[in-house]
Amino acid sequence: MAAEVLVFNLLSGIAIVSAAAMIMMRNPVHSAIALVITFVNVAAVFIMLRAEFLAVVQIIVYTGAILVLILFVLMLVNPDELPDFHGARPMQQIFGFGLGIILLAEIAVAILTRTVVAEPGPWTEDGMAAVGGNVQAIGQVLYSGYVLPIQATALVLLAATIGALFLGRPDEDEEPTPSRRTVATISLAHTRGSDQDEIPALSSANIKHEAGDRDLIMARDADEFTSTPEDDQKGQQE
Amino acid sequence: MNELMPEHFMFLSAALFIIGMVGVLTRRNVLVIFMCVELMLTAVNISFIGFAWEFSQLTGQIFALFIIAIAAAEAVIGLGIIMALTRQRDTVDIDEVRELRQ
Repeated sequence: MAAEVLVFNLLSGIAIVSAAAMIMMRNPVHSAIALVITFVNVAAVFIMLRAEFLAVVQIIVYTGAILVLILFVLMLVNPDELPDFHGARPMQQIFGFGLGIILLAEIAVAILTRTVVAEPGPWTEDGMAAVGGNVQAIGQVLYSGYVLPIQATALVLLAATIGALFLGRPDEDEEPTPSRRTVATISLAHTRGSDQDEIPALSSANIKHEAGDRDLIMARDADEFTSTPEDDQKGQQE
Repeated sequence: MNELMPEHFMFLSAALFIIGMVGVLTRRNVLVIFMCVELMLTAVNISFIGFAWEFSQLTGQIFALFIIAIAAAEAVIGLGIIMALTRQRDTVDIDEVRELRQ
């Protein structure tokens, strides 16, 4: 049994150290990686506590989904805008660490002086093995006594999805910036080699009607078809 | 203590929760504060699962399952708010965001 305690202490030690590293790291990406290490170690602790299903869910949901989402958002945020941890906020940090130490002392006293007495339930290691394992045991208990909470959770997840779509939509009042067009010539027919005998009259009135807002260049021969507004301005300046 | 006792995981849970709390109180980056909140939720899960193991019950594990589901929903909403915030203010510094205070 001593080996079990040793493994537990090792796992929890790594978890606590990397959690402490998470709040100390200057770079938020390093914080996220330290949090991954913490979560994986916590999942291992879950396995030690006969919660294999929750260990897998912990890794899939937390390290697989939530942290990848956080990393994506980190990439979208401008890194120059990130505030420093070691900035000029000494009062805030002293207050935070002091409050943490006080709370730790309180909880330590509470843990060491109190004992919890309760009736042991039926789900010992043998009881779980009788129904086929941890997943089967959780399924039995969950879908017999907690059907309504499951449906409420489904509603919450649906509302969260809709809320995320609502929060992530683009602003309505913001006009999309028009992309600049580089070539603004309109070719109606090629003058040389064209099988048409005569070109329809190029009057600026009926072309403008079709071109909309674009810059319009009236091309008189084929070489002009490749010209751009920049070339025209250069030619005018010369 | 030669055997795995409830004190072990209670202390692990308390340590992780307090580290998360200190992070929320001291950091200024919204994303790191968000990660600290996730850490605190996990610390509570350790407590639940530990007591479920101690008393051979499954209720604690089921509560932890619901907490994980709600944490996923909370992550989606929180990151959506952070995205909206960075689009509007171009900052993730929590001290810069004071519209609600004024």
